[in-house]
Amino acid sequence: MANLAIPLKSKTNTKTGRGMRAGENGFVIGTMTPLMAYMIFFALLPMVWAFVLGFFDYSPARAGIGFLGLGGANPFIGLGNYKAMFANSEPARVFRMAVGNTFLFAFLVLPLNLIITLPLAILVESVNSRIKGLFRAIYFLPTISSSVAVAIMWNFIYNPQQGLLNSLIKSIGLTPPHAWLTDPNAFVLGVPLAMIAVIIAYLWQDFGYNLVIFMAALQGIPGEIRDAARVDGANVWQEFWQITLPLLQPTTLLICVMTMLSSFQVFVIFQVMTNGGPSNQTTPLVMSIYLNAFKYQNMGWAAAISFVLFLIILAVTAIQFRLLRTDWEY
Amino acid sequence: MRKTIWFIVLVAALLLSACGGGLSGGGKVTLRLWGHQDPGFQKANDDLIAKFKAANPNIDVKYETFSYDDYIQKLQTSMAAGNEADVIEMFGTWTCSYALGGRLQEVPADIMTYDQAAKIFYKAPLDGYYCGDKLYGLPVEFNQENGGALVNPVLFEKHNVPYPPKWNTFADMIADAQKLTEYDASGKMTTSGFDFVTGDGLPATLFAGILEQGGSYFAADGKHFNFDTPEAKKTIQMMVDLVQKYKVVDPVLFNDTSNEVSTSFFTGNIAIGFRGSWAAGTGVSEYPDMKFGYVEIPTYFGGERHFAADSGWGEVVSVNTKHAAEAWKFVQFMMTVPENAMLYNIDSRTIPAMKVNVEKPDALLAVAPYMQATFDLLPHGQYVGNVTNHDQLFYEIIYPDVLEALQGVTTVDEAAKKINDDANAMVDAK
Repeated sequence: MANLAIPLKSKTNTKTGRGMRAGENGFVIGTMTPLMAYMIFFALLPMVWAFVLGFFDYSPARAGIGFLGLGGANPFIGLGNYKAMFANSEPARVFRMAVGNTFLFAFLVLPLNLIITLPLAILVESVNSRIKGLFRAIYFLPTISSSVAVAIMWNFIYNPQQGLLNSLIKSIGLTPPHAWLTDPNAFVLGVPLAMIAVIIAYLWQDFGYNLVIFMAALQGIPGEIRDAARVDGANVWQEFWQITLPLLQPTTLLICVMTMLSSFQVFVIFQVMTNGGPSNQTTPLVMSIYLNAFKYQNMGWAAAISFVLFLIILAVTAIQFRLLRTDWEY
Repeated sequence: MRKTIWFIVLVAALLLSACGGGLSGGGKVTLRLWGHQDPGFQKANDDLIAKFKAANPNIDVKYETFSYDDYIQKLQTSMAAGNEADVIEMFGTWTCSYALGGRLQEVPADIMTYDQAAKIFYKAPLDGYYCGDKLYGLPVEFNQENGGALVNPVLFEKHNVPYPPKWNTFADMIADAQKLTEYDASGKMTTSGFDFVTGDGLPATLFAGILEQGGSYFAADGKHFNFDTPEAKKTIQMMVDLVQKYKVVDPVLFNDTSNEVSTSFFTGNIAIGFRGSWAAGTGVSEYPDMKFGYVEIPTYFGGERHFAADSGWGEVVSVNTKHAAEAWKFVQFMMTVPENAMLYNIDSRTIPAMKVNVEKPDALLAVAPYMQATFDLLPHGQYVGNVTNHDQLFYEIIYPDVLEALQGVTTVDEAAKKINDDANAMVDAK
């Protein structure tokens, strides 16, 4: 019988010698184009626009004469916004305070988060597998809750007259602070009490996310390594410090980077709980950007602040990668 | 090639769908109206739109609302893009920043001139729309944050304080407030006798106190401010005395962030709450079982009443509208016809900006009897003036700086100087 099969000829790239089946090109273009268009129009272009705005004294309430409303009543001022950050003016003072608040918040949240989540992950991992999932679900619930709801709930807890926290403190015979969120004269070790209160609320909501990641990482550590350590006479602490912790370094890097990234951009919990007060003690950079852009209509100044925040996050992330990188795998 | 054509068709379809249609079929004009989300305001606009459409069958009105914070952002971003609504509900103190920025149309002379408007509207709300000697909109509301307070008769009775109150002087009111203040066993204030510590209350008190003493908060050029004056310091001292001397409010426990007046009053934690009459309207709808009153409070320094009002809600027309004649016809219908403006005030429970509706308020008082206390105050108000950026001045400068003085973080002199410096820096930054 004659061979009627028609051999399929694939397109070949004569340079590489690799071939693609018919339609693969179309599939790649068809799936990537919407994604690329989305990324360009909703991520890249807004970032470029925000960067450009930082060089103008731009307000959306004023009609400019040039491209996209720039120029005219929205003049080009070069590095004017960036120079103003070092000026002896109230907006500059609030900006510098916001930078300090942002760093304070992020650098307190990270170690506290790790101190809570890692031991808890080890504890949860050690229980019976039947109830491990229950604990994981319970601890993860705050993470999937609305930030607004969490902030409102903690406002009730911190209420100076009817709040749960003050009731508990009084029930054990202690005197609670005058106000957790609104007393500008309340500090603990130099940290505003309102900031500490917000950090507690944020940690409560956020720790479940890192807990789940640590639990997955712990499950990934080969049992043979632990067994070998025990055979060599290592006790629990030695096993933790010299086996578990080093092997968790890649996961720790991931958690540190993600926690810092999100901490630098926290807004909702600050706005709902304290609105940046008392006396700007809990005003982070993101709130400063929001207020300047949408309340004070100073979008040029807000854009410059957002670029500064971008540089800060970039630098901190790069430092973390440098300090916590690992050259090995298991 | 075929894929390229489909891609172009898809993009073109998306672009075309983004274009607003101004014309419906058959030559009918469609106007777009934007407003903020509030049940009363939405009902007011819905009722008047229905009336307008019945009288003007060739004009359709599409009404969209946004939450307050989203509304401001929406205005800013859409105006920059040129796709804002034809008619915009705008607060008076916002208007000049948009008008002088070239975003709004001037009211045509055949609709209403400023001189004509000044005869029928109170100046305090009207002047919010008067920018650079031109009129850019018309008000429907007289926003009033001065001269009145919510009062809780249950607390008055509990402390044997006469109700309704008969205060001849501010000192009389403070004496009652001291009796009404409550503390718990640890000495923490649980009920404020007189709470005025709000983002609106502190600026309103500061401006009124300065004006009552015959002072001014504007510098000689009318653009910059002068808050570093004896009148301003005396007013701030008066507020500090309410906290530190008379102890009728603890500003750490009662402020905009904690136990805010318009909610904490209705939970029984404030005996006399300094708020605009709109708070009474909120109370009637959201706390229907709560017994409360709304009364006039005496002047701060015993003289003639003077206060600054920050205009009120009204309507403006975008400079980008393609249907200017129809847009102004709509604004004229809503804002200048007394029965239509009254309907708006009744539905939204707002104080009329139109004088004739205050002179004949029976229909309004039938639904909002608490407004009676404010009607006597209206002639004493003046527009707060071109304060450059109302929200920034009120909520980010005056409120926090005065609050710091009340909380003992700064002195009265430091607070007055800081308000002065911050306010002028705001002007210079624009």
